[in-house]
Amino acid sequence: MNGKEFFTNRYRQLGWEFQEATPKQAIRINTTNAKEENIIERLHANGIELEKIPFLENGYWIRNAKVSAGATAEYLLGLYSIQEAAAQIPATQFTRINGKTVLDACAAPGGKTVQLADQMNNTGAITALDVDKHRLKALANHLERCRVSNTAVYNLDARKAPQLNLKFDCILIDAPCSGNYAADKNWFQHRTLADVERNAKLQRDIIAQTAACLNPDGEIIYSTCSLEPEEDELNVDWAIKHLNLQTETVDCPGEKGLTNVFEKRLDASVERCRRIWPGETQGFFICKLKKRGGTT
Amino acid sequence: MKSIISFAAQLGATIILNPDFTVKKGNRYFLLNQNLRKVIRKNFYYAGTYLGKVKNGKFFPSFALLAILAEKKANKVVVDRKTAWLFICGRDIFQKGITAVHGSRRKGAHALVLNEFGECLGFGRIIRTLNVEGKGNDVVVKNISDVGDFLRREV
Repeated sequence: MNGKEFFTNRYRQLGWEFQEATPKQAIRINTTNAKEENIIERLHANGIELEKIPFLENGYWIRNAKVSAGATAEYLLGLYSIQEAAAQIPATQFTRINGKTVLDACAAPGGKTVQLADQMNNTGAITALDVDKHRLKALANHLERCRVSNTAVYNLDARKAPQLNLKFDCILIDAPCSGNYAADKNWFQHRTLADVERNAKLQRDIIAQTAACLNPDGEIIYSTCSLEPEEDELNVDWAIKHLNLQTETVDCPGEKGLTNVFEKRLDASVERCRRIWPGETQGFFICKLKKRGGTT
Repeated sequence: MKSIISFAAQLGATIILNPDFTVKKGNRYFLLNQNLRKVIRKNFYYAGTYLGKVKNGKFFPSFALLAILAEKKANKVVVDRKTAWLFICGRDIFQKGITAVHGSRRKGAHALVLNEFGECLGFGRIIRTLNVEGKGNDVVVKNISDVGDFLRREV
């Protein structure tokens, strides 16, 4: 069960007609290190024209660039990061993050870790995990370049997060997923439903183990760049039913989470999630979870 | 920590590191903040502000440490836009590209290299005593380390 026809037919059943998508390159200004208006001006002088992304506070699309955005002095000084627009959304969804204790469960290569640190103004503490030791080098370089000072990184599988014996106010699970065709032009050639189901199982394990590290009033942001409901709404439905978690409204563009997936009825509150089909951004799914009985 | 303090002294700077917040992991040094210190576990890979590493008895500073020192009294050369770009590309600095000098101008001294915005791009060694007029086509500061290294590391 694979191939373009198989997957696009699934999307049709979910109410969305497949369309080609080429997301624009985007940056996020690290406001801890730089004033937004100065960076816009400096990049303009370098031949990089920016366009404000309407749904992000510090995000810009690159409209025109005479030089690579990844090779300017401003980039090397950590004044901005290159980060796809939809990928900038999850870290913005925590209600309060300044001074908090944060877990970034699947952190490498660190785009969202740096974003969390920036939103926290380097206050509080972030614990960033990744299972892949090779990817930790990229994460460490990213943190050093962007002058992040509130983060500790561990080479640890997110499913083993309880071993740290820590409790967190905010947990970001940007889960390893099957990805989507807008971010990978050969996606339809190499992805199968078996991959999706394997990833969905891994994601459920990560949600379950990290949720055990959540403070009573804490929040989990769960996100994937997968369009497959097994990795998105079905996992959230599972978390509601098995982990004493409830959804909270996600405030960003996109469609409501699906509550009817291939004839299966899900918990009605799954619609509080956001599903972003590929278009001017890549595809994304974002969900906010809290412990049932916690303060809302 | 001695190696960090000695390195700062080479740049004409003084740094005071609280031993309770400075941790060594293998050959790498990190500076923790108060919150991080409360939650840090022994087996971390990276933590807080990376200060640099010791290799074969020599200290290699991080760019975060250089930025910390750039905020203090230290030897500094400020360069023009074109020179800043060439420096990031690994090139040495000509006298004519320098717009201001703070601290030592003497041959053999080490100096931080700052751009027109006062941001630290790296550091180098003064190989010819810097003149006051700021003219000349000679290389005067030898590049030792620059932020272009972030790109070169990825290759």
